[in-house]
Amino acid sequence: MKIRDAFSYSFGAIRLRKLRAGLTILGVVIGIAAIAALLSITQGLQNTITTQLQEGLAADTLVVIPGGGFFSGNQDRGGGFGPGMGGPNSGFQLQVNDTEIIEDLSPDILMASATIQRQGYINSSEQNHITAIVGVEYSEYQQIYGTTFVAESGQISPTPANDSVVIGKRLNQLQNGTVVFALGEDVQISWTNATARPPMNETYAGKVTAVLQEVGGFAFGGPSDDSIYIPQSQAEAFFDTAECQTIIVKLAKSDQATIDQVSQLIIDEFAGEVSVISATAVVSLLGSVFSIIQIFLVGIAAISLLVAGIGIMNIMIVSLIERTREIGILKALGMRNQTVMLIFLGESIIIGTIGATIGIALGYGLANVVAVLLGGGGAFSGMGGASAVSDTSSLKITPILTPTVFAGAFAFGIGISVIFALYPAWRASKLKPVEALRYE
Amino acid sequence: METIVEAIDLKKTYMLGKVPVEAIRGVNLRVEKGDFLAILGPSGSGKSTMLNLIGALDKPTSGVMKIDGVDISQLNENQLADLRRRIGFVFQFFNLIPRFTAKDNVELAMSIAGTTRGERGKKAEELLENVGLKDRIKHKPAELSGGQQQRVAIARAIANNPRFLLLDEPTGNIDSKTAQEVIGIIKDLNEKGVTIIMVTHDQNLAKKAKRVVRMFDGLVISDEVN
Repeated sequence: MKIRDAFSYSFGAIRLRKLRAGLTILGVVIGIAAIAALLSITQGLQNTITTQLQEGLAADTLVVIPGGGFFSGNQDRGGGFGPGMGGPNSGFQLQVNDTEIIEDLSPDILMASATIQRQGYINSSEQNHITAIVGVEYSEYQQIYGTTFVAESGQISPTPANDSVVIGKRLNQLQNGTVVFALGEDVQISWTNATARPPMNETYAGKVTAVLQEVGGFAFGGPSDDSIYIPQSQAEAFFDTAECQTIIVKLAKSDQATIDQVSQLIIDEFAGEVSVISATAVVSLLGSVFSIIQIFLVGIAAISLLVAGIGIMNIMIVSLIERTREIGILKALGMRNQTVMLIFLGESIIIGTIGATIGIALGYGLANVVAVLLGGGGAFSGMGGASAVSDTSSLKITPILTPTVFAGAFAFGIGISVIFALYPAWRASKLKPVEALRYE
Repeated sequence: METIVEAIDLKKTYMLGKVPVEAIRGVNLRVEKGDFLAILGPSGSGKSTMLNLIGALDKPTSGVMKIDGVDISQLNENQLADLRRRIGFVFQFFNLIPRFTAKDNVELAMSIAGTTRGERGKKAEELLENVGLKDRIKHKPAELSGGQQQRVAIARAIANNPRFLLLDEPTGNIDSKTAQEVIGIIKDLNEKGVTIIMVTHDQNLAKKAKRVVRMFDGLVISDEVN
């Protein structure tokens, strides 16, 4: 019997039991849809986060933070999230003038720029917002973050006046269009000096000289929509400190070897008291985390497919019993055992193919619905760090159905169907014609 | 003469639970090309077992069953399946596939033998026309009478130009008038050179054959020419 004829026979058997086959297919559809939806949405989420991280943390940029043991460039120390970003574990502090030491370390280092950061307030006559106040050298910061530290309105002067304040987009305007702090507006910048006795509120008058264009994403080490930026010298005076929270290092090259080499030089220079974070390391770590999440989620979804597989086995065994006599007839007419097996497996392949096709389409559709709901509902909003602005933007997820996911889900659907049909198919093929013909 | 079927000291023992039952106890039989043989016997005489062995549906416990000179005991399952394609079975209960039309049922035998779709469609129509079912080719078994179903079964049995037709009580489930028609078709086929082996307990039906082999208690007790 030709394979096409065998499949045609299988298809005829399925058509005869439409409801039963339909319910079995539904089981596969649910399993595959769950897998496709979870995979495409997690891949989309990973893609979104990775892209936004890469935007916030340029590939040719390193972020030096106090405290050893952070994961980047220092993996021989055990990696992991050790003391956490910016969390010194031995009282070590980075100083603003450490940038000079770093710049002298390697010709591959183009520039090192310090940021001084405090939690504080920006107030106008009508508004009052908690925010991150970041002191940076405007000119250096612009060179390092040429695509994100860019004024949408106003100007970021390389030689700013002391009262210059650059604000992130969300501090200028909410998503609904409400203006919070306008360009040119006089504002009060304040913070609480908790180390003073008694603790004191420090305040100075500033003027919004520029509004950054929307950065989006996580602003990991780079400009953020929720922060305000003041000249570094002003920050040093205002916070009465030369301690900085991060030093951003711009490299001449962005290859992994240079990143690794420079990272090690910096770590060694500071005797392991600092950590160096690179975009590639963050993205790589994120990739690992997402892989684990994906395996976990797909594992759960796969259970539903296993249940569907048991359903397939169940109806195949019922079908085998019902069709015992038919199998006897086929064998009496000269059908070989493997053809009988092929007919039964053919039924499962057809069920698996239909189920997987509908399941993938449904799963992808479902992922898009979920993405729209999450994107609109703001479930992932506010992950940018220092944001305390009431109206934060949402994380836009575009579910991704890669050819690998498509092929994988398809193969898994058919594979499970075939595996669970193997036993009934084998039993059918081994039926003795005399006994099968006698079966009532 | 060309020998189609040859049984030499053929024995078949079944296990009924733990009790061995000797269904065939040493049968010798030879069927030549062009024969029209009836194997006649009461219930329990071993004729159905004989039918299963001649049809290569089962293997003997001992002795030799040769079909076309080949000892079926020596064949593996695939070889037995291939051999069965050269045997035309007609069963008492027709054994048609219920979801198939008359034409599809006839085509099925050819499909198993690997005949192409185009070729088998045309041949199935011809065969059904030959058994008088030209206007019933698209009917399913449930839409056909017993006699018509048996004629479809005969058309299916001869579809692959078998070496011989093996019939099990071919008129057992049809009325006497229809039975006459079916017997007529079988006799016609025999006259055209098709070897016929028919198993029955019906003496009147056996009289239509050229040769009658009587079985009793697992043995051949007579072998006579009509």
